Amino acid sequence: MARAGTNLRTSYIEANEVLRRPYQKLLIAFIVAFALLLPAGSSDYFLHLINSCFLAGMGALGLMILTGFCGQISLGHAAFLAIGAFTTVILTVHLKMPFIIVVPVAAVSGAVIGFIVGLPSLRFRGVYLAISTLAMHYAIIFLCTTYQARFAASASAGITIADPVIGPFRLRGEFAWYYVLLTLLTVVTVGCVNLVRTRPGRAWMAIRDRDIAAEALGINLTRYKLAAFMLSATLASVSGSLAAYHSNVVTVEGYTLDLAVIYVAMIIVGGMGSILGALLVATFITLLPYGIDWTFEFLPRVWRFGSTVFGVQVGAVGVCIILFLLLEPKGLAEIWRRIETYFDRWPFRYRPLDTSRR
Amino acid sequence: MRKQLFRRGITAAAIIAGLAGFSAAQAQETYKIGYITDLSGPLAGSYTPTWEGFELYIKALNDRGGINGKKVDVILDDDGLKADRAVAAAKKQTERDQVVGIFGLSLSSTQGPVYAEMRKAGVPVVSTFSGIGDALPPAQPFSYSTGIVFEIAGDAIGELGQAIKKGGKVVGMTIDSVGGRAALAHNKKAVEAAGGTWDEVIFPVATTDFTPFAQAAAEKKPDVIVGHYGSGQNLGVIPALRRSGYNGPYVVASYGVTEDTIRQAAQRAGSGENIYYVTRYSSSFDKNPSVGEVAAAQKKYGTSKPFSSMHVTGWALGKFTEAALKGCGWPCTREKLDQTIQTLKVDMGGLTGGPIEMSATDHYGPTYWRLYIWDAKDNVMEPKGNWIKKGSQGFK
Amino acid sequence: MEFIATVVILTCTYALLAAGIVILYKAGRVVNFAHGEIAIVGGYVFYSSGLMVGDSLWFAILGAVAFSVVMGAFIYAAMMRRVVGEPFYVAILITVGIAIVLKSAIIVVWRAEQVTIDVGVAPAVRLAGGATLSYMDLASIVLTVVFFLALYLFFTFTRSGVQFRGTAENPLLASQRGVNVNFVLSRAWIIAVSAATLSGVLYGGRAFLGTASVTIGLAGLTAALVGGLDSLRGAVVGAFIVALAQYLTVRLIDSVLSEALPFLILLVVMSIRPWGLFGTVEELDRV
Repeated sequence: MARAGTNLRTSYIEANEVLRRPYQKLLIAFIVAFALLLPAGSSDYFLHLINSCFLAGMGALGLMILTGFCGQISLGHAAFLAIGAFTTVILTVHLKMPFIIVVPVAAVSGAVIGFIVGLPSLRFRGVYLAISTLAMHYAIIFLCTTYQARFAASASAGITIADPVIGPFRLRGEFAWYYVLLTLLTVVTVGCVNLVRTRPGRAWMAIRDRDIAAEALGINLTRYKLAAFMLSATLASVSGSLAAYHSNVVTVEGYTLDLAVIYVAMIIVGGMGSILGALLVATFITLLPYGIDWTFEFLPRVWRFGSTVFGVQVGAVGVCIILFLLLEPKGLAEIWRRIETYFDRWPFRYRPLDTSRR
Repeated sequence: MRKQLFRRGITAAAIIAGLAGFSAAQAQETYKIGYITDLSGPLAGSYTPTWEGFELYIKALNDRGGINGKKVDVILDDDGLKADRAVAAAKKQTERDQVVGIFGLSLSSTQGPVYAEMRKAGVPVVSTFSGIGDALPPAQPFSYSTGIVFEIAGDAIGELGQAIKKGGKVVGMTIDSVGGRAALAHNKKAVEAAGGTWDEVIFPVATTDFTPFAQAAAEKKPDVIVGHYGSGQNLGVIPALRRSGYNGPYVVASYGVTEDTIRQAAQRAGSGENIYYVTRYSSSFDKNPSVGEVAAAQKKYGTSKPFSSMHVTGWALGKFTEAALKGCGWPCTREKLDQTIQTLKVDMGGLTGGPIEMSATDHYGPTYWRLYIWDAKDNVMEPKGNWIKKGSQGFK
Repeated sequence: MEFIATVVILTCTYALLAAGIVILYKAGRVVNFAHGEIAIVGGYVFYSSGLMVGDSLWFAILGAVAFSVVMGAFIYAAMMRRVVGEPFYVAILITVGIAIVLKSAIIVVWRAEQVTIDVGVAPAVRLAGGATLSYMDLASIVLTVVFFLALYLFFTFTRSGVQFRGTAENPLLASQRGVNVNFVLSRAWIIAVSAATLSGVLYGGRAFLGTASVTIGLAGLTAALVGGLDSLRGAVVGAFIVALAQYLTVRLIDSVLSEALPFLILLVVMSIRPWGLFGTVEELDRV
């Protein structure tokens, strides 16, 4: 099909295309090959970090859809992760269910909780919605803490669960986990990309931009808002469940409000409405503490042992958030778009007239 | 303009990151061990002194010439009180830094995952400060502890509390955490076994005002109140208790509570009377020569935190580590170190009431606990009574 | 007697925190998620300033005031002013970023040491039943009342106070009438940071300052939300409701529930009247 220049779309099919330019197809192929071959030359530690990024990315995708596409600010992310982890615990410890059953059930429990947490969104917007999700967070974490206090074998240490077993295979070791998580994340990403470029995505974006107008256009707010909450909670729950299997131990202490707030900040910094942004930012936030640790290794020994330098890691996240919000409120994805557009339009500087450029 | 600035900034950052080279190679032969703890998180104030005590011991050891001429190199990492960072740090230390053992650790909830991962990798891990059930008999492989296990602490405090008031009513206070509840459960058992009565007050971890809880506790008209939590809570609870009119005995369970905290709390309460302290390792005010060694090292090398029983705890771990590495010999491998630790019986001098003993099935050993009373006039800790011994059986 | 005293003190603590949040919301429609951190860092600054000149109270107060002015003005000028046109969540997230940075400042600058402010901790008043109130407790009550009184006088009678109310209602109209909106807003931030610092100092005197203490911000936020984010009167009422409910829960029901309780109250209030008890009924869209 002849294309009328890179900025003009002449059909709906073209408008919905995910890979528009030839270089993108090449890039995807290259990334796939690289991802498949990566574990060959990597240490266990490196793969462990990558796996953590994958897990974070899955959760971030869900939250990106809820907050970045649908515009609902939700502080319930940590609670959803906890639901996934604790559902896993209850099913494996008390009911001895296998991995194949546990993860889908965790997804379902996530959906149910997402539905409940999403109900206030039908009434509130903005900060008030965030506050009601905050209240839900505390309620859920309270339940999880009570469970852990009551049922954990060695109370103080959290609950241990065994490695997942799929058929004759025992899923153990970063290498195996890498491929499992890579597959799952790819499936989820492709699914989200598709969701976002078709009707649900457009409905969500309409709700985000002006929900009264969206309603006037015939978009069922209830259905789409709740769907967004349920999707976000499901993905987070699955991520939490997989994380529980991956680390073999579950404790409620890790699911703090700070975590939920950081995730929301991640989404905004990543760029509202960008799948790529979600993945980038999940990676960034996961790796930042280790990156700073790594740069510290080049400092003289004496400095490293001062405990004060570790506090800098904590602050670095805050500084990044502030800098991004001040300099580029549309996030990382916008920076990427600008780079892309620069090369795309070169040698022209400005947009030609009459485009439907996103 | 903004766009340009930002783009330049990104380029600069990328260049700096790219310029980073490779870490300097360690040419000499040294024993490499790892230490992971919370140095920047919410409880850094409790874990940092323990690390400093350990560091003091290693510095003194290296100055003496090390172990048979070989120095000990400690790789320090921060886990920010997060389990996944602790695990990542452990993996890094075992893979890139090639440590033979990992020491320290922080909050009990971070220990489980680290133990689990290092078990897979076959690296011995010795936690100090606190310990979890993995080290109690029948112990999990590669998992050791020289710290305080909540359940045993609760039991020991219950017994020592009897020295203050036999058979009286004891009210236990703790934060709503899994460890706190576990400690209270065992404290209750010990008290009731000795013929006393028990009641408890549990408050949320993020409490901002302790007055209502202190009043609730005082209202129960106890003979003794025991507090199972850290420094911050004690700082709030002790004055609140006194303000509520309770002036009876209060026992501080030493989960990272330093003597300096008690001094501050006593000051704010107006009176330092009737404040007791139960600890596994000697208080920094103890007059015995082993503690004097620690004090001397602290004066010589300096620490950022005021000298406390936490430093003594870290120092004790240092002593234990030296014995382990020495027994391991050279070259020391992880399996050898693991085997060696299981045979250790290290004399602690006056650092605690008896030696730290490990065995193949018991990676914790018997522990010794002592009751101290705070002397508000001289601002020192005075021991009250002798050490009691607690076995490690029956707590799992 | 003891019961009344404790509830009054708790109310004052929460009310002061809520006041800081309400002022910022009224002025710039910003919900400040960094309030707790600002309060604690303010407390630390007070503590360190006092120490620098050998335990001097005046120097501590000076340091705290200087901190309030500098920090308030800086936050506004460097950050808040630049994100005026952006969606609401940008400003809120900047406060989240500020909160994280301040928390790390506690670790880096003060080494996360838990400190207490030991001014006036001696028992001052004896109550029936053996309980005592310290000078710090009395100061909490007195200073909170004084602060609210000062705010009331400021907003009602002074020129800048009236300008503030005008800007809060309609910034565009106010600026067209010659009000320097930038000055008004930066003053609002300075007042809010001062309220926070005062809260921090009082809290440090009654409990302790540490990285864990920053949760008081959340308590203040809850009280403000219950009372209405843009009503100072509501801040006091909201604080009272939360304080009373918490105290009764601890004493009569179950102490552990008291953590979740403010949020339960919040959920209840928000289901009935989302703008809080005294908040102006507004289109939730603007938030």
